This record gives sequence, structure tokens and C-alpha cells, in this order.
Amino acid sequence: MLIHAPILAIAVPLLGAFSLLGLAYLSRTLRNIWACLISAFTSAMAVAVAIRAFTEGVVVYTLGAASPTESVTAGGFPIRIVLVVDGLGAFMGLIAALAGVVALVYYFQYLKEEEGKSLGLSLLLLLWAGILGLVYTGDLFNFFVFLEITSIAACALIGYRTWESRPPEAAFKTMAMYTLGGLLVLISVGILYGEYDALNIAYLSKAITGSLLDKLALGLLLGGLLMKAGAVPAHMWAPDAYGEAPATATIVLVANTQAAIYAILRVVFTLFGGALAAPGIGWLIASLGITTVLVAVLMAVVQRHLGRLVAYGAVSQLGYMLLAVGVGAVARGGFGEVALTGGIFHMINDAASVGLLFFVVGAVRRATGSVDLLSLGGLGHTLRWEAGFFLLGALALAGIPPLNGFASKFLIYESTFRASPILAALALLASILLLAVVVRAFQGAFLGPKVREASPAPRGMLVAMGILALVIVVFGLFPGFFIERIVSPAVQAVLTGREAYLAAVLGG
Amino acid sequence: MRIGSGEGFWGPIVWVILALGILAMGFAVWLQGRRTYKRGTEQEEPFLSGEKLSKGGGAVAGIHLYWGFAEALRPLLSRLVAFHSGFVGDYVGWLLVVLVVSLLVVMLS
Repeated sequence: MLIHAPILAIAVPLLGAFSLLGLAYLSRTLRNIWACLISAFTSAMAVAVAIRAFTEGVVVYTLGAASPTESVTAGGFPIRIVLVVDGLGAFMGLIAALAGVVALVYYFQYLKEEEGKSLGLSLLLLLWAGILGLVYTGDLFNFFVFLEITSIAACALIGYRTWESRPPEAAFKTMAMYTLGGLLVLISVGILYGEYDALNIAYLSKAITGSLLDKLALGLLLGGLLMKAGAVPAHMWAPDAYGEAPATATIVLVANTQAAIYAILRVVFTLFGGALAAPGIGWLIASLGITTVLVAVLMAVVQRHLGRLVAYGAVSQLGYMLLAVGVGAVARGGFGEVALTGGIFHMINDAASVGLLFFVVGAVRRATGSVDLLSLGGLGHTLRWEAGFFLLGALALAGIPPLNGFASKFLIYESTFRASPILAALALLASILLLAVVVRAFQGAFLGPKVREASPAPRGMLVAMGILALVIVVFGLFPGFFIERIVSPAVQAVLTGREAYLAAVLGG
Repeated sequence: MRIGSGEGFWGPIVWVILALGILAMGFAVWLQGRRTYKRGTEQEEPFLSGEKLSKGGGAVAGIHLYWGFAEALRPLLSRLVAFHSGFVGDYVGWLLVVLVVSLLVVMLS
């Protein structure tokens, strides 16, 4: 069965999302058991795919062929839909698995039945399937399809609280942006298909010559994907979305945004990595990255809404990743490798720290009914675990040693300094400012005299927060262990793995 | 468990050992302090430049932390807040800006 792991990791949550709604009519217990089974199986498949990709190299799975390994026809043309998982795709699959599992653990005690628990679970699984499909597919049109699946599920989750005014508005804005971004990607796919009669990423990568149409396709792809990655100035949907979505969905939404950064890496280094590997594209991404960091951190300073404050913190971290990707694309080796190591490592670190912060925000909202810092205070008297988790997540987000955020930011700062000392200084300054912002949020919500009653979060929610806290501490204390085993294969797949990717799909 | 950047390295375990050493030194200094502290006396009152606290007391919410910092940056921050208008039309406009810049950079590369 393990040979079918790539497709099972996508198909099981996809079909499970719809079947779960049917089961929910029969019994809630049955629904919960079903959701746990789907979650456990999907995670196991994602881990199995990752182990294969890290140990054996690029994993190729062909749909509709006599054997899953037959990716090309007798004429040497890749006509079928393929899933191609290299080190980078496997790494992203692991992030998605972590996000999906903790979101589900948190979910069961977070939403009430009368708030449409079954529908939320279904959307969460759908989003999970979309992310896994996005990072595993080796077909450009399927990439667009999975992009749309993630967009639809994400927007439905963002606007989930229809009985409030702000979530549907945030969902509408996000949907408008995602639709336009998706349209840009679709036009780009259309241009490449019209030019080369193919949709297979490996085939296209080999065929692309760097013509004017190729450049147009790359520009459109970058425009759509940079928006989805939350790059300033097209970032404005992100704080709206993160700030209003249910806390349980936010970690998966963060993984979804990171999938856009994965897509930028795939487009810049694999799809257009042969004919259009220009440093100018790297500088564009790095410039947008540092702008994102600075603008998001400054906007976090003025936030009163705890959710939006954390949301701007999350956007700033996306800026660090874009900065690292940009520096990596400028250098393509040497300090570029260090930058990509930092940037890719920062993805999983960010998912853990931002996810933890959003989970605490959800617990605060559940306990007090408010996330307005002006009306909060002294919550540490009653929400002791939550206060500890918030402090840990906040310090990790700000990159305070010895937590995981520092390890990845250290690599980003050092490599960025080699590319441009000014960019490195600005990135460091923003990190210090972010520390001030999160300390202020911690002080405002958890310290001082008790101003209102609050009931601590149920055990299930605390367990989910505990898992993320453990990731933050363990990844922070042993960064070398994780970089060597799961980050380096992803970095090598980006920098030197293009030929292996092409050979695995096209043969030879 | 160190990680290297080519220019330097980061060893979290070494850092933790050093931090524990510094904490131990701080604890040793603390042990040398006066032992005349009494709970519930004026010793617990905050020292505000020798001024006496008003009877009504006062509280500074966490939101007011770094007030001076935010005030100093107000010209910049107010522009940034205005830039985040909340209008979806503006969002789309900025997406088009990113698109045009991306296309220009790619075309000129």
C-alpha cells in the first residue's frame, strides 16, 4: 500500500471530508472517530511519503497508468497526471501533517455543536487535502485545481462565524483576492499549455526557452503567488483572514499560505530554473520580503485586537521566508544555500509558533468572549497554561534564543548580510520591534490585576497547544538534528534537485 | 547539535549551559541581599521618584506599554494605518501593482 501513499494522502482527506458529513447525521461519536481515523491515516501517509523522498530520492506516482511508476508514454511524452514528491514537497507534506493533526486535536473541544462542528471539520479536511495536493502534484493544471480547492475551503473557514459581522467580510475580501490570484495562475497555465502542448511541470521545465511568452507566464505566476504568500503590498487580506478565522483553522491557513511560498520556490527553481534563472527575480522577492517584514511589524504595534496583532506577526514571518527565498534565488549556492536552509526551516518553526499563538488567542476568546487588549488583563491568574504557552510562542516568534525561531532567523540574518547588510540590519531591527509588540500583548492580556473572570481551556485544547510548545522547544534545542534530516533534503531539492526531478519524471 | 552559517555558528546547548551559569550567579548575588523584607508593609509599594501614590491607585494597561515609542512613530504609523483602508478595491489595486512590478522585473531580467 505504501507505493500508493502519495495519492492516498490526498484522496483520503478529500473523500473523508464529504463522507464525514453523512456520518454526522447518524452519530456524532461515529463522526469524531471517522475524523480521527482520517487524520491518523493521512498523517501516516504524509510521513511515509517523506521517508521515501528523503531516503530514496524523488517519488513519482502516475495516475491512470498500468503501473504508478510509468510517467511517460512509449513516445516519451508525459500525458498522464503525475504526483512528484521531492525533498521540498515531502517537507511541506510534514508541515501540513503537523498542522492538520494539532488542528483536529484542538478542534473537538473548541467549537460547539450548535456552531456547525461537522461542517467545520469537513472544511478543515478539505483544506488539508488541497494543501497536500498542491505540494505533491507534478502537473501545472492540477496545481491550479488544488490552489482553488484550498482557496474555497480557506474562505469558507475564514467566514465560518456567519452570526458575526466581521468574519464574512474578511472571507469576501480573501475570496476576491484569491480569485484574482487564481485567475493569474490560470492564465499563466494557459499560456504555457498553448506554447508547449503540455502541463507536466518536469516536461515544461525542460521545454521552456525563456521566450517573451515564458516571461509573461512567469510574471503572472509570481504576481498571483506573491499575493497568496502575503507579500506587501498585496498582503492586506491576510490579517483580515487570520484575525477572523476560528483559531482551530488558523494553523492550517498558515500552512496554506506557506504552500504559496513552496509554489514560488517550485516555479522559480524548478519550472523556470533552467532558462529564466535571473538574480533580478531573487532581488524582487527579497525586496518584497523585507518590506513585508517591516510593514507587518509596524502595523502590529498599533493593534488592539489580539487576533489581528498575532496575524500581523504571522505576516511578518512570511516576509522573513520571502527574504530568504529571494536571497537564495540571488546567490543559488554558497550563502544562498544558508538562506534557503533558514527560510525553509523557518516554515515549520513559524507554523508551530504562530499556530500556538492563535490557539491561545482562541482559548482567550472562548474564556472571556473578547480579544480586545483594552478589556483584557490579568488572565494569567486563571489561564496559567495559556499564559505560559503564549509567552513561549511569542518569544519563539520574536526569535529569542534558545527557541526554534532564533535558529532559523540566525541563518536568514547571516546569509542576508552577505547579500546586503542593509537588508540584514532591517530584518534584525524588525525582529526587535516584534519582541516589543509581543511583550506588550502578553503584558496586556495576561499580567496585571485580574479584570474579569475566565475559565481555563479544556484538556484537549491544552494538549494541542502542548504539542506545538514541544515542537518549539525541541526544534530550538536540537536544530542541527532536524536541519540535517528534513530541511537539507528540501534545500538540496531546490538548489540542485532540478535535474533529478526532471529525470525522475521524464526518465534518463 | 550546532548549526553553521559559514560565518558563525549557533549552539543552543552551549547557550543554555551559559544561561544557567548566569542565572546561578544572579541567584548567588540575590542570596547576599538584605533579609529584612516583610510582606504587606510599605516595602511592597512601588518607588515612583519619591512621590507618594494617590489613594485611588492607578493601573497602566498593557496596551499602553511603549506608548512613547508608538507616539514618536505616529506620523509613519498613521500613514500605514490609512494605507490599510479595508476596502477590497484598494486590495485589488495593490495586487495589480505587485503584478506589474513582477512583470517588469521578469521582462527586464
